[in-house]
Amino acid sequence: MTGKDLGSTPHGRAARRWAIGSTATVTAVIAGLPWAAHDRLPGRLATHWGGGDTPDGSMPLWAASLFPAGVWLLVALAVSVRWRRSWPAVRPWRAVALAPTGAVLVGAQVSVVRANLDHADWHEARQPALGAVLLVALAAVAGVTAWRLTTRPTAAPAGTAPTLELPEGERLVWFSRTANPWLRLLAAVTGLIAAAALVALAAGLAGGAGLWPVCAVCAVTSLAGAAFSSVQAKVSEAGLEVSFGPLGWPARRWAPAAIESAHAERRLPSQVGGWGYRLSGLGTTVMLRAGDCLVIRPRGRRADFAVSVDDAERGAALLNALRTRRTG
Amino acid sequence: MLLRLDTTDTRPLHEQVAAAIRRAIAEGECRAGDRLPAARDLSSALDINVNTVLRGLRELRDEGLLEFRRGRGITVAEGAARRSGLQIRVRELVAEASRLGYSRTDLIDMIRGLA
Repeated sequence: MTGKDLGSTPHGRAARRWAIGSTATVTAVIAGLPWAAHDRLPGRLATHWGGGDTPDGSMPLWAASLFPAGVWLLVALAVSVRWRRSWPAVRPWRAVALAPTGAVLVGAQVSVVRANLDHADWHEARQPALGAVLLVALAAVAGVTAWRLTTRPTAAPAGTAPTLELPEGERLVWFSRTANPWLRLLAAVTGLIAAAALVALAAGLAGGAGLWPVCAVCAVTSLAGAAFSSVQAKVSEAGLEVSFGPLGWPARRWAPAAIESAHAERRLPSQVGGWGYRLSGLGTTVMLRAGDCLVIRPRGRRADFAVSVDDAERGAALLNALRTRRTG
Repeated sequence: MLLRLDTTDTRPLHEQVAAAIRRAIAEGECRAGDRLPAARDLSSALDINVNTVLRGLRELRDEGLLEFRRGRGITVAEGAARRSGLQIRVRELVAEASRLGYSRTDLIDMIRGLA
């Protein structure tokens, strides 16, 4: 269930065939289950339990078979259509979205059929114990499995990793920073709203019930916006350090030995799902502006870490040079 | 910006820090108005005490290469690129003169004597 964008390569064709095959299989299982057991099922199937033990909703056999299958096909179609040309990198999300959906729908269909089995009337069907909990667990397992299987983005960067000469007797350090004025503005505006709400609450000007959530949401947005409105990257003999915000906190650090490779890459917010601290099929990206990103592959990890900073090429080169000097 | 610190240099550390930043400005690593990394970041990256780094930065401010601004940190001053290039050559000249046994006063006299 990887990308359509790979369609031209043999691997891509196989992936595509696999995607279509698995979608069709799930459709067949969902639609076919009630039919397979139809001589042991009542005319109408109990399909919904409103919380109690007795069912409060039912469907004829054909609807119980086709309705979930239709939902499945609709979801599969919705996440498979390439809405924008710049989205190829988001592809792995399709598997991560579809695997839990499929698992829940198949699981629900199995439990519906099982609950209705050998009952003459749908009112007698009983909800399987712990059914909902099992479904959620199933969805989580399916989602994590799909994530583990599909996050192997761009195994090696195209071309060789950049590097530079480390002259004997010279200590090289590299700094870069990026700021996003819009995030800063957002932080300022939400901060003001939060402060105003707090003052109103303290003065008893307004009802607490409505204002507390506003105050809390704005305060959290403001703090997150302020923390991620600017980012500093630093490469020194201690490795790479990426720190956020004016206080330089939170920060992430990697020693040269903990980095497998580094390179520079052009990335867009639309590829990684927006601005800020993004998790996507490309790994983790700290995206403050479109363009140059310093991308590293931490040792022993499946996903990359990228941060949008200027002059990333030389940062990556220095990091690679430090890395090879340590090991070589 | 890429900073190069010469580890074989025997000058005092604060002068080395100033020299590294002066060179970075002259080579266009950071342009006028650019913000310099915070002193504590420079300190941890170069593995030099933060007070030594600050002393180096203050020297550059006195040379007119840097501006210290409240709330905006340390920025590269207007026209610093040209000035830092000249500063580097003046320092080289002074070093060369002292190697050959001329004092600064001798050097100033020589410059004054130029027609």
